[in-house]
Amino acid sequence: MNARSFGLGGTRRLPTTFLVARREVLMRLRSRVFAGGTIVMAALVVVGIVAASLLAGKTNPVRVGFSGGSQALERSFTASAAALGTNVTVSDIADVTAGKAQVTAGTLDVLVIGSSTAPTAVAKDAILSNVESALSLAAEATRLSDAGLSPASVKSAMALVPVQLLQPKTPKDNENLFAGLALGILLFIALGQYGNMVAQGVVEEKATRIMEILLATIQPSRLLAGKVIGIGLVGLLQLTIVGAAALVAVHVTNVAAIPALGLAGILGDIFWFLLGFLFYATAYAAVASLVSRQEEVQSAVAPIGILLIAGYLLVYAALPNPSGPLATVCSLLPPFAPVLMAVRMAATDVPFWQVGVAVALTLASIGGLTWLAGRIYANAAMRIGARVRFMDAFRG
Amino acid sequence: MSTERSLEIRGISKRYGETVAVQDLGFDVHAGELFGFVGRNGAGKTTTMRIVLGVLAPDAGEVRWDGRPLDLATRRRIGYMPEERGLYPKMRLSEQLAYLGELHGMAGSEARASAVRWLDRFGLKDRANDDLQALSLGNQQRVQLAAALVFGPDVLVLDEPFAGLDPVAVDVMAGVLRERADAGVPVIFSSHELELVERLCDRVGIIDRGRMVACGTVDELRAGEQERRWIDVPGAPGDWEAGVPGVRLVQADGTRRLFELDPGIDDQALLQSALNTGPVREFERVEPTLGEIFRTVIEEAAA
Repeated sequence: MNARSFGLGGTRRLPTTFLVARREVLMRLRSRVFAGGTIVMAALVVVGIVAASLLAGKTNPVRVGFSGGSQALERSFTASAAALGTNVTVSDIADVTAGKAQVTAGTLDVLVIGSSTAPTAVAKDAILSNVESALSLAAEATRLSDAGLSPASVKSAMALVPVQLLQPKTPKDNENLFAGLALGILLFIALGQYGNMVAQGVVEEKATRIMEILLATIQPSRLLAGKVIGIGLVGLLQLTIVGAAALVAVHVTNVAAIPALGLAGILGDIFWFLLGFLFYATAYAAVASLVSRQEEVQSAVAPIGILLIAGYLLVYAALPNPSGPLATVCSLLPPFAPVLMAVRMAATDVPFWQVGVAVALTLASIGGLTWLAGRIYANAAMRIGARVRFMDAFRG
Repeated sequence: MSTERSLEIRGISKRYGETVAVQDLGFDVHAGELFGFVGRNGAGKTTTMRIVLGVLAPDAGEVRWDGRPLDLATRRRIGYMPEERGLYPKMRLSEQLAYLGELHGMAGSEARASAVRWLDRFGLKDRANDDLQALSLGNQQRVQLAAALVFGPDVLVLDEPFAGLDPVAVDVMAGVLRERADAGVPVIFSSHELELVERLCDRVGIIDRGRMVACGTVDELRAGEQERRWIDVPGAPGDWEAGVPGVRLVQADGTRRLFELDPGIDDQALLQSALNTGPVREFERVEPTLGEIFRTVIEEAAA
């Protein structure tokens, strides 16, 4: 028994909420569940990213064979395809019939027949549009040259009218939408997982009957707060480890540009996770205090899970138009705000007042929920046995 | 610690819906006193103790310590062993006790030292780094008592501390309770082991259906009981006592007989009658046990 075996030493008397939170953090960090869970989560994320990068890099070049006069197109076709971002290999095919047989057999993707000014592409069942375009460009250039025209001058003569936007929309490219969606999924999973952890912890204390000893020395609200804070910190640490592993994997494999969230964006996400966690964990704790056995926890917390899933589904409904009325209104309302507002902030520029309203409403609802949960928890915590009815716990 | 300090339970009542758990119950436990709380199952002992600890709010009445109503600060100074034992199964003994010590207001280093001391006292020093769930039930119960003692409580409230203990553990537990009481701590405990309560306690409270039906030292409780005498007169005829007024035969064992004397009856009259019939080999005053007192008191309360 020494300072090392149980965290902070010292001779100071510490606030009870801090003591409860410290116990939660130390016990959970030490448990195999935390270490194993973190390793599995980080491994899954890293494996997913590496797999995505391998799949992306493994696209085989399109094999294109040229026969007869079309063979003159090979160089300009290869250049055009490269310009369009398509990897191709070209080969000479002496016999058209044999070439078609190769296409049918799948050893050749495209066979080009005919002359260099009027080639025909032969494919099995489909042809990449980039391959078709590159071939058309190559033939077009040949036809223009044959007509005595320079392809460059023709291009400038046929240029489209340039467009000037006075109020261009902020960039909402796919990368931002992808980041928003990933964030939504992450928040949904994290809030559900750590909320459930709080519920299990509350019922554990009822089931093992230590609740009676604890409540003889500490107010229910402080016990509740310590538990929520402790598990919240553990969750934040786990998310940080998994998130860091994901960022490193993305950086090393270079599978995608790291979203331009920046430090402010990441801090914003942490802020929304904490607000969401306080909201949901408090609700989970209150509902869990109504039951006495671990088997009953899942059915007791189901309504909160449904609320979380609704918020998660709203992410899909809101993302295509992150500034539309549905997304805007739902992202202001407390049960959905922690997930939806975080997602919108990743996907688009959200007006400052909307963020302010969402934060204010969420904070206010956390205050109300804490009061309600404290009351229910205090009244239900000592009732061991049958499930306590919500209104009975509320009345006391 | 001043010896005038006492725990006063004043007119507490608690009902659950239609069921009356405790009705206008009151008693005092003084510093240095071991108070035994006995009663049938469901009589209201646990409810009373929970009210003292503040984990249950009474409908009426109050609990006072040292002349003032109990508040959270003073309640934190009460060591409590609930009827439903409860500690964290997956937490090391030393850490668990130190944690509870800190929750009760000790500094960290102080709490850790005290945890080790109490584990040593209960012979569990070698198990200090084991999880609670690795221990036998008897040893878990010792840890439970250590949890009530670890922070040096001003008052001890123990619900059935002896239930499930082996005879050696009972002696250790009894020794610790006596020692705490001698150190000036009022100790309340409930038990169905009436012999143990009689042997150990300075005062006893008998509770029945939520009411305190008798309270005092065992001798004081005996005062209301009828006197009994064993007499052995080997040569006497069968009904020699027939002429003695206010005497009733309770039990016969060979030539030995147990008589019950009505209040105010002089036992010397009984002895004289016996001597008149022949030589008296044995004349013994029998004190009713707490168990007998308990049954009588409960029967009277029911009547």
